[in-house]
Amino acid sequence: MLEVKGLTTKYGAISALRDASLSVGEGEVIGLIGPNGAGKTTLLGSIAGLLPIDSGTISFDGADITSAAPDKIVRSGLSLVPEHRRIFADMTVEENLKIGGVTISAAERGPLLIEMSELFPVLQKKWSTAAGYLSGGEAQQLAIARALMSKPKVVMMDEPSLGLAPILVDQVFDLIETLRSQGRTILVVEQNATRMLKAADRAYVLRSGEVVATGTGEELLERSDLFDTFVGG
Amino acid sequence: MFPSLRRDIGFPVIGSLVMFAVLFGGGMIYQTILGNGSAERLVTTMLIDAIIVIGIQIYIGNTGILSFGHIGFGAVAGYAFAVFAISPAEKLKRIPMAPFGLSDIQVDPAIAIVIAVLITLVFAFVVGIGLARSGAQSGSVAATVITLALLFVSHEVAKSWPELTGGNRGGISFAIGESLQSRWPVLVALFGALLVARLYGQSRSGRLAIAAREDNLAARAMGVNPIVQQMVALLLSVVIVSIGSALRVWQIGSILPDRFFFDYAMLTLVMLIVGGRNSVSGAVLGVGVMTAARELARRLGQDGFEAFGVGLDEAPLDWIFRENLNSIVLGVAMVAFMIWRPKGILEDWEFDRWLYEKFGRGNETKPERLSELETIPNAEFSASGISVSFGGFNALTEAGIKARGGEIVGIIGPNGAGKTTFVNVITGMVQPTAGEFSIGTADLTGKQSFELSRSGLVRTFQNLRLFGALTVRENVEISALVAQEHRSDRVLRDTDALIAEAGLWDHRDRRARELDYGNSRRLELARAAAMAPSFMLLDEPTSGMSDSESITMIEQVRHMAATVGAGVIVIDHDLGFITGISDRIYVFDQGQVIAQGTPAEVQANEIVQAAYLGTAAH
Amino acid sequence: MTGLLQNLIDGLGRGSIYALLALGVAVVFGIMHMLNFAHGELITIPGYLTYWAFNNGWTWWTVIPLIIISAVLSSLLIERVAFSRVRGATDFTMLLTSFGVHFIVSAGFLLYVSASVKPIPRPGWFANTVSVGSLNIEVFDLVVIGVTAVVLAGTTWLLQRTMFGLSLRAAASDFDTARLMGVKSDSVIRGAFALSGFLAGIAGVFWIMREGQVTPTAGINPMLQGVLAVLIGGLGSLRGAVLGGLVLGLAEVLLRSWLPLGIQNLTTGFVFLMIALLFIFRPGGLLSVPQVERV
Repeated sequence: MLEVKGLTTKYGAISALRDASLSVGEGEVIGLIGPNGAGKTTLLGSIAGLLPIDSGTISFDGADITSAAPDKIVRSGLSLVPEHRRIFADMTVEENLKIGGVTISAAERGPLLIEMSELFPVLQKKWSTAAGYLSGGEAQQLAIARALMSKPKVVMMDEPSLGLAPILVDQVFDLIETLRSQGRTILVVEQNATRMLKAADRAYVLRSGEVVATGTGEELLERSDLFDTFVGG
Repeated sequence: MFPSLRRDIGFPVIGSLVMFAVLFGGGMIYQTILGNGSAERLVTTMLIDAIIVIGIQIYIGNTGILSFGHIGFGAVAGYAFAVFAISPAEKLKRIPMAPFGLSDIQVDPAIAIVIAVLITLVFAFVVGIGLARSGAQSGSVAATVITLALLFVSHEVAKSWPELTGGNRGGISFAIGESLQSRWPVLVALFGALLVARLYGQSRSGRLAIAAREDNLAARAMGVNPIVQQMVALLLSVVIVSIGSALRVWQIGSILPDRFFFDYAMLTLVMLIVGGRNSVSGAVLGVGVMTAARELARRLGQDGFEAFGVGLDEAPLDWIFRENLNSIVLGVAMVAFMIWRPKGILEDWEFDRWLYEKFGRGNETKPERLSELETIPNAEFSASGISVSFGGFNALTEAGIKARGGEIVGIIGPNGAGKTTFVNVITGMVQPTAGEFSIGTADLTGKQSFELSRSGLVRTFQNLRLFGALTVRENVEISALVAQEHRSDRVLRDTDALIAEAGLWDHRDRRARELDYGNSRRLELARAAAMAPSFMLLDEPTSGMSDSESITMIEQVRHMAATVGAGVIVIDHDLGFITGISDRIYVFDQGQVIAQGTPAEVQANEIVQAAYLGTAAH
Repeated sequence: MTGLLQNLIDGLGRGSIYALLALGVAVVFGIMHMLNFAHGELITIPGYLTYWAFNNGWTWWTVIPLIIISAVLSSLLIERVAFSRVRGATDFTMLLTSFGVHFIVSAGFLLYVSASVKPIPRPGWFANTVSVGSLNIEVFDLVVIGVTAVVLAGTTWLLQRTMFGLSLRAAASDFDTARLMGVKSDSVIRGAFALSGFLAGIAGVFWIMREGQVTPTAGINPMLQGVLAVLIGGLGSLRGAVLGGLVLGLAEVLLRSWLPLGIQNLTTGFVFLMIALLFIFRPGGLLSVPQVERV
């Protein structure tokens, strides 16, 4: 469904991503793990069209979306929950969700808003609150709900458990499970490697901008060298 | 080392002479070829414009803040000069009711210029405080609007205070024959302006201002207080602009509010922008180019197009070539340069620096290796009970570390563990809700970032903040300049030797922005070392590096720290790097210190493994 | 007391125009981080069209739409020709680009129309007053205040209730994330310039009526008042811009009435002095928005 081939992205002189490739099939939950600074966020940003790509191709649903404008990519059915959530703090929960659905028609938006309020009861309670007043866990749910508002075929999440208390991390993984059961395709960048590997169908391990390992979640959990990859031993 | 007699004084003087000769010589050639009075006036006007543009360059070029207000200062100086220098007989015609008995005063024009400069300086000082305050709060955009308002208000007051200024129609004028007859005062002032501008650019204050222009945050982290340097640049530039403005009034023989308003602000700014605002040579070039372009446009507007016997006077292009064409030329030049070449023709190329590189430097020998320094035993960095919360979210809870002099202490933790917040606290970017930190007996809590680095805690940046337009050597010299004043109790290392120790000797004259990533990191290290720090705080020094680069970085950090006798506090996500470099390690998670110890202890610690891999629930 | 009330209404009328101008400047600043020094040209250009229209027998009923439409189109045109090319550039570059545009437009009118003042007939009701008790209120002030209130309410509705308004606010608070949601950068920026032009157009109608003339440099004053009002209110805040405009208008009128007769003509100078004091003691403006420094 989503094919990334030989992607290289640079920030000035720094190669944040070197020749990275991955593929995501329909209905899969794919984990993207690796130490800080490995290029995971860059990879998602490149796919979403936010970062200029130096070389490589990205295709989605059979169409080439390399270097397409972000709004085109969203319209084609790929949506990103950005790192640090990046919710619009001075807009209400409802307004945040509406903006998430900026690419769909008003007629579709109405029912979808209701659907989100059912899927995320927490948000329903704070419907007209400025999003800046939400707690970390609530804000994360809002960020995910907002991404779902564009009716994506694939949802990408960048560190959804970042800065959340353990109980809220559980909530995020439960949510991923719920979304999977709805048949959605999900690509998650996660620092919490073990949790991620347990939740994912397959995973890719990134280090220093390169894909260094890939396999099913179980396979990677078995790999004893994984800790070394993280600590650089 | 600084100052270098040849580089910072000798060559700037030579360069000023040459620029003076080129501008004046070019004018004389044009004047001789045309041989009429209007050409002579044009050349004098150009030379006076040059003084004012150079004056503006001192501020805009060295601080990077766009100012429209210098022409407003020019108006103040121009009126002050006129009111003092014009004879009481003439003043009686225009402003018999001038306040403070000014209508009876007459002083020598030279003294009137001095008075004008002093009066304008008082204004500039007050405005400068406002600029600094709002600039620090809302950035340079706010400062620019204030300068624009200043231009406007000086014009407004000049128009609506006819008792002093002669108002909008008549203004005040010199008696016939009392206006500027000789070109000498202009020539002296122009050469002086060039000299001041170039010497200032090479001076301590000038360099610190330029560092802040290139990167305000990094400059403060190197102990520079930009507000002070910007004020110095402002006052100096106002002196030159005031002298130029007084001469302008003297030459024209009269002053009107519109003479120092938008049109003239626009003209002088375009001259500066076209040539290249960051260099005095650029300012001079811009004055020449724009004077020529405007003269051409004026002639086209007057006579139609006629060259080599081909006349287009009644031709289709007549609708373009009209009277006053030159004001359009200005606007178009400004927008075109902003779109296609915002830094101007010369960018920041400076004639005397080029000359020095070519002829002045001679052979440099690579400095001898430096021996390692003894560390100061009682220099202990200590942070305790540091808590930070943002809107109910506790980013840090009672976190603390200790580092002894000469020790390398690592801080690690997963994303979101609070490392960055901790760094922000001990670099003065974020005020902690509780807790304190100190070096030795000096409490550093609540200090601004430039005070922290002066106290010996010098940082580097995760995303590289070098002074891009400055050379490797100049980058390091910025720290050395600050260290000379604030770290004189420590052993100050020769900057060239530090550059060599960092492995950058062959790149010493390249601009920092041209360096590759590894060399940029090494330069940041050398720049921090030149501050003679008690502790270097390295923020993610290996981010974006490959494994092998990280390993070589270990040796370099150790070596540079030992060379200046500093301890190191290093924050990194790469456990391999941290365990390789540190004597002791603190592990952060969930805003707290969850473990500390030697690298081996930390690596074996199960809590640490859990935090990193999430193998167990927290 | 009546004097004060009179002044308040007068100042509110003046301040309303400033508020409209400031809001236009603030909308563009929010989205592009550019203070538009060419904002006053959105009054100069329609001003000359008004002059032309009256010479060709138009009346205020047809001229008013002309002013508003031409202001919107000018705003869009200037964005297309100049500002779109400096998106994301440094503050320095954007400020000077807008200043250059101001200069080109005013020099163009100077060159191709005339340096002289072009008169524009004021509408018949302009000088009318209504008496309420001992108050003599200018109809013009009432119209300005009323229309401004309606326009501000409409703008609020637009920003709060429409998808365009939401996109604009989202893009102003976090441009990249707004793009991630599917907001098109071109459309939202052009929309901001159109809105800015519309607000300038409404302000322009009143400005042109009040001045009763147009000159090549007619844009300087409205631009400066708009930009200053934005700063007084606090850079980055739309509410602040409106507040700043009203405060500026009130300050002008009140100062003029309080200053002794001899120095009344220096009112502008004193207004600026007050603004300077405001910046020294509250550098971020009245509704200052905290600026986060990023490492």
